[in-house]
Amino acid sequence: MTNTRIAIASALAAALVLPVAVQAQGNTEKCYGISKAGKNDCQTATSSCAGTSKKDAQTDAWLSVPKGACEKIVGGSLASKK
Amino acid sequence: MPLALPDLQAAFAAHVANDVAGGDRADLAAAVVGDTISAEARLRVYRHHVAHSLSAALAATFPTVQALVGEGFFRGLAQSFVAEALPAQPVLAEYGADFPAFVGAYEPGRALPYLADIARLDWALNVAFHSPKGRRLAAADLAGIAAERLPSLSVALSAGAALIRSRYPIHRIWHASQPDTSANTVDLDAGQADLLVLRRSDDAAFIVLDAGEVAFMVSLAAGTSLEVAAGQAASAEPAFDLSAAFARLLSLEAFAALQ
Repeated sequence: MTNTRIAIASALAAALVLPVAVQAQGNTEKCYGISKAGKNDCQTATSSCAGTSKKDAQTDAWLSVPKGACEKIVGGSLASKK
Repeated sequence: MPLALPDLQAAFAAHVANDVAGGDRADLAAAVVGDTISAEARLRVYRHHVAHSLSAALAATFPTVQALVGEGFFRGLAQSFVAEALPAQPVLAEYGADFPAFVGAYEPGRALPYLADIARLDWALNVAFHSPKGRRLAAADLAGIAAERLPSLSVALSAGAALIRSRYPIHRIWHASQPDTSANTVDLDAGQADLLVLRRSDDAAFIVLDAGEVAFMVSLAAGTSLEVAAGQAASAEPAFDLSAAFARLLSLEAFAALQ
């Protein structure tokens, strides 16, 4: 066994016996959760009215401009803000 | 002469799919009752219903993309995708695998070069959320293995886990796009993001990996042994702490149980 391999073996073995408090750090830092309602494949039953228009939807010109939280993103070569 | 049933069904399917070539056929409209509401208007109800329902499903799967561009823009984006790629299977939660690539090529979205990577993150979270829990590797599972055998083990990523790498700070962009966020502005030049998406017991989540950790995970995901992965990590980040990183990833249940 090379020295490197011995070092890796002991580092891995050490990870298994790190105190619980140290291991738990992984659960508390920068862990953004999402919680979704289950997506019902029949979900359209509640929103069908919006989809039953008899006329083809017009794509308004102003809709081609993103208008949301992207206004918070600044910088970058392509981001043409203001 | 009326359409034969298979032809009628094919014509109706083409109409619903907004297929311009086979769409508004006179013989299809002739097969539909047109009294107080014209046959063409009756047919359009079905077309709109399909487009609207699938756009709503995409909005549920890609909430961060929608938050970034707004509902109006997202509707146009989603309906363009729907017109091009109808679902190939019946589960709505599995619809949209090709949406991130479509977003990347969508001309009106060019001013937002990070949008496709955000779509990839939304998709990975969706896949993780709907993946089976599966058995995870715990520190206790390895305790019975002799230390000198640990370096040659190969460990796979747990079910639903995925690495998302972007040249943009998409973790900050994601954070700034949440409904209850307090984040103000994000600087697009703040550097890259290497994220690990994970299925947790009740939800899906992602964590930010440092340069050593991401090299370690990329190597393991490619099927290498822990020894090779540790070498890759040390090359990427000389200060890589193998013990701390391995303990952290084990505690996050990032690995599948050994076969």
